[in-house]
Amino acid sequence: MYYMTKKLIQVKNISKQFPGVLANDKVSLDIEKGEIHAIVGENGAGKSTLMNIIYGLYEPTEGEIFFEGEPVEINSPLDAINLGIGMVHQHFMLLPSFTVAENIVLGTEPRKNRIFMDFKEAVSRTEELSKTYGLKVDPYRKVESLSVGIQQRIEILKVLYKGADILILDEPTAVLTPQEAEDLFNVIRKLVKDLGKTIIIITHKLQEVLAISDRVSVMRHGKMIGTLETKDADEQILAEMMVGREVLFEKLHKEKIPKEKVLSVKGIKARDNRDLIALDQVSFSLNAGEILGIAGVEGNGQSELVEVLTGLRKMEEGTFTVKGIEVFNKSPREIRDLGIAHVPEDRLATGLSSEATIWENMLMGIQHTEPYAIKGIHMNKKKIMERSDRLIEEFDIRTPTGDLPAGNLSGGNMQKMVIAREFSFNTPILIIAQPTRGVDVGAIEFIHSQIIEKRNKGAAILLVSADLDEIFRLSDRIITLYEGKITGEFLNGEISKKDIGLYMTGKHMDLAGRGASNE
Amino acid sequence: MNSKLFKKDLEYIVSLVLSISASLLIGALIMMANGRSPAVGYGALLKGAFGSKYNMANTFAKTVPLVLTGLATAISFRSGIFNIGGEGQLYLGAFAAAYVGITFTTLPKGIGIILAIIAGALVGGLYAFVPGLLKVKYKIDEVITTIMLNTVAVFFTSYLVNYPFATTRGKLNGTEIIADQFHLSRLIRLSTLNTSIFFMGFIALLIYYLMEKTSTGYDFKLVGQNSLFARFGGINDRRQMIIAMVLSGALCGLAGVFEVLGVHYRFLQNISPGYAWDGMLVALIVKNNPIGVIIMSIFFGALKTGSISMENATSIPSELVLVIQSIIILFIAGEAGFKEKFKEWNAGRKVKQKAGERNA
Amino acid sequence: MQEERLNKRQVKGMLKQVLNLTLIQHTIRTATPLILAALGGLLTEHAGMLNIGMEGMILLGSFFGVLGSYYFGSSLAGVVLAGLVGLVVGLIFAIFVIDLKSDEFIVGIAINIFAGGLTVFLLRSIFGVKGAFSSPDIIPLPRLNFPGISSIPFLNVILNNHSIFVYLSWIFVALIYIYLYKTPYGIWLRASGEYPEALETAGVSPKKMKYIGSIVCGILCGFAGSHLSLGYLTLFTENMSANRGFVALAAIIFGTANPIKTFAAALMFGFFDALGIRLQVVGVPSQFTQMIPYVATIVALFILTKRQLAKKKRDREGAA
Repeated sequence: MYYMTKKLIQVKNISKQFPGVLANDKVSLDIEKGEIHAIVGENGAGKSTLMNIIYGLYEPTEGEIFFEGEPVEINSPLDAINLGIGMVHQHFMLLPSFTVAENIVLGTEPRKNRIFMDFKEAVSRTEELSKTYGLKVDPYRKVESLSVGIQQRIEILKVLYKGADILILDEPTAVLTPQEAEDLFNVIRKLVKDLGKTIIIITHKLQEVLAISDRVSVMRHGKMIGTLETKDADEQILAEMMVGREVLFEKLHKEKIPKEKVLSVKGIKARDNRDLIALDQVSFSLNAGEILGIAGVEGNGQSELVEVLTGLRKMEEGTFTVKGIEVFNKSPREIRDLGIAHVPEDRLATGLSSEATIWENMLMGIQHTEPYAIKGIHMNKKKIMERSDRLIEEFDIRTPTGDLPAGNLSGGNMQKMVIAREFSFNTPILIIAQPTRGVDVGAIEFIHSQIIEKRNKGAAILLVSADLDEIFRLSDRIITLYEGKITGEFLNGEISKKDIGLYMTGKHMDLAGRGASNE
Repeated sequence: MNSKLFKKDLEYIVSLVLSISASLLIGALIMMANGRSPAVGYGALLKGAFGSKYNMANTFAKTVPLVLTGLATAISFRSGIFNIGGEGQLYLGAFAAAYVGITFTTLPKGIGIILAIIAGALVGGLYAFVPGLLKVKYKIDEVITTIMLNTVAVFFTSYLVNYPFATTRGKLNGTEIIADQFHLSRLIRLSTLNTSIFFMGFIALLIYYLMEKTSTGYDFKLVGQNSLFARFGGINDRRQMIIAMVLSGALCGLAGVFEVLGVHYRFLQNISPGYAWDGMLVALIVKNNPIGVIIMSIFFGALKTGSISMENATSIPSELVLVIQSIIILFIAGEAGFKEKFKEWNAGRKVKQKAGERNA
Repeated sequence: MQEERLNKRQVKGMLKQVLNLTLIQHTIRTATPLILAALGGLLTEHAGMLNIGMEGMILLGSFFGVLGSYYFGSSLAGVVLAGLVGLVVGLIFAIFVIDLKSDEFIVGIAINIFAGGLTVFLLRSIFGVKGAFSSPDIIPLPRLNFPGISSIPFLNVILNNHSIFVYLSWIFVALIYIYLYKTPYGIWLRASGEYPEALETAGVSPKKMKYIGSIVCGILCGFAGSHLSLGYLTLFTENMSANRGFVALAAIIFGTANPIKTFAAALMFGFFDALGIRLQVVGVPSQFTQMIPYVATIVALFILTKRQLAKKKRDREGAA
């Protein structure tokens, strides 16, 4: 035994095989005591899988885990908890209809007379915990009534309550506002410096990695690419490790198209699923032959905007006009007929049916029109298959046949299928949300070039993306959305990524102030 | 047909055959536990179902309500709305037909029958419309409401035939006999097989065409698979669900109509021994495939008819087939799960094997 | 015509015949199997599974209650056998729904049909009778009499001389209430239905909780069945459960799966059942009173949903 005692967790040659996907391929990783260790990688690189294995939620297909030098079997979260490992999941593991205190003590409740739950004790322990770590919560409140930032606090307290010394945080900032994220980082630093905890943080935001971690490990396509000291890393190095080559996309050729306004949006107000105001007085216009990028931190109204414009969500106020026709709460069918096609942000939930075959997925939207439906009734299988096969070829969808369920396709090919269908309608307006989310690099190039081609042919494209690089690469014009309001509008090239970040986070007032003083 | 898709279908057929065989095997074990020979029992069952023209006629007579309620289930389940209320719709449809048959006694033959059919379908459809609307408009679980409405319909018709519409001739818990011109002609002597089987065939063909060959059938299917995707693609998913529900109810109503016009010639308090439940099983077993519904209905019809002969020949109670049917459905319900477990087990074995090779 | 012109005295006489203490006594009696089954069903409901197989579980309980009591000459043996069979069926439900990920209501339907077939099959192959089996060798459940209250006429009629399950069912209501809301295990069971992943990451197996819920449901339904066949009458008839599983389901939904409210709903439904039977005696159709639980459940669901929508709207206006 010559392991250094410093090595808290060692993962050796872990593989995890899911049906059709090798999510982890002989991954090894060391975690040292008292460090903040970042794990980065693109969507689908296998980060979460690895963490779920360490936390006992997945059983590895092969490989070993050592804890303080001893081999351990972590078969369930309980085993992980007993080793002092706690995990804060990307999707919070909180019971909405239970109180904060009940959630925090879940699984290891304080008891009276051995079998009864001691609610008073649960509350007082929650208060105590809250004080110790400086994370303020109200133990009596029901979780469903709390904001996302507070819910994350509860998640962290829950893990600390279980006595965790090692905290795994899975994409903790994905749902947070920049201010909340900054608060979270302060908490993380405190946990490490003052209380001797060890942190593993999963993210794909490189700036965060550089800001907070001591060491960083990079994963790609299920493999561990390497671990380095954060002080030796910069964004360029990490990005290259993440995507496996220098991130130099080909310059896209953009043709000049005469301006013609095809969509104008006036004063839209709408609510999100929790009934809070998601869009407030949103107005803009979109021209033919233009890509208008909507930049914003996720959850600032982008999804709702797309849904309103495609008829999937009701608006309370405002209208939008397509080719001179005013729209207020029309159905998706009517809006499609006006000439708007839609590539939705969540292809699995909205953009396809994984049970249906590829040709059936390709048919959606035109199933009642000639020549695919004879007299609008009888499906013309021959024409339908011809079109489907043609699109499969044009969009390079990798499948032996169009007769297979769409669920058999990889993420990138599914997305190409959705794009193929929506693009094939040749509508004057395209609304495209998160076109390359969870798609491999090769497919990204292809999808980008398809989008540009549409633009060059004169389509008006509204592009929503959480990926700022994508926005900058494709857009002619950029609008920033923050808390449901438009905070800025720029021509591409007019503003830097850094400055646009301020508009996306509502801090542009500072910029304006700075600008004024510079003048 | 594409080979891969065919392979998937084939795989399911294999599971189906395995499930049915396993259930028949369990049935055989039960027979043996009763001290009877399974060979004799199943032999009598087979002979009872298909052994003569009369037996075959009885088997096919039984398929009429099964096919109709089975298709009713298929169309609603495929559209993602679960009509469990077939039994109630059947009762109301049957009563409506009987009502027409005892009220409009002066109508000429063809028109009377058509009127009774329309009335039954309409009443069944309307009765399904209520839970459909509650589901779509208020998101009230249709499984629960349709279960509740089943019993409501049974009690309501029971009231009708015991009080306002009770026959004056004897205590039958039924209505008066419908007028002669409403009787569907019998096809084979002594058997209840009647011309409703032609109506059934025609309706089944229509439903098959609707479900498999039309754009509307596509809409139903896609709403059932992913209603958000359907809405995204311009289908009015809510309307589609309600239409599916009403169609489903109408089909169940028709099943009731034919029981009255073709078999009993009157409405009876216990007119259905659970046809809609059996029809539902039929549809579930074949995963809502309309052709499958027809084949499986014949199988179920044969089990039902054959079991009576089996009972007469071997004194094995005919209810054994209910046990067999329910075990088939259990196996089919667990089919995907069994397969997954089997794959996991197989994968685990392979990994161990591989590890063994590496160690060696 | 004559009936319509009932004079006051006749109406009074009829009312007296219908609305008396015996009605309350009957209510308690008819509500008991509903309470038992509903208590079981609300456990699976909390664990996130809609169990429509209760109907079949009750039916099996009735049959095996009679079988056990008849063969072993002891009502306790009947109850134990009914409970055991319930346990096994609950386990089968759990295996299929939880481990094999089968659709819960398909499994429920299968259980109902299985129970209907098996009980009649066994009735005929074991007892050789059709329709019903009755015998003096079937030992009924013991009845309890509290001597303390037998001198109070009102309480004597209502509370005394009931089958033991009547009193047990009340105790079960309290126990299950305490279990669900006052113990960690109850919290786990509810969590396993609301958000199983949350429970799993907290180190408790949601599967285990679901299994427990399902098995206890089976046992309680078995008891409910044995109360039917051994409580007052000692016989088994085909389809003896007569929709009680579905009424229990209605009570759960009506009572929003809260044990106390569900208990109240079951009592109410039992009352309408008892009322219907008594009305029938005096010649009033019972079908409408029998319908009440089902209609009431749909109405309750409707009102509940409306109220939720209204609340949402209020919250929104409050927030705005």
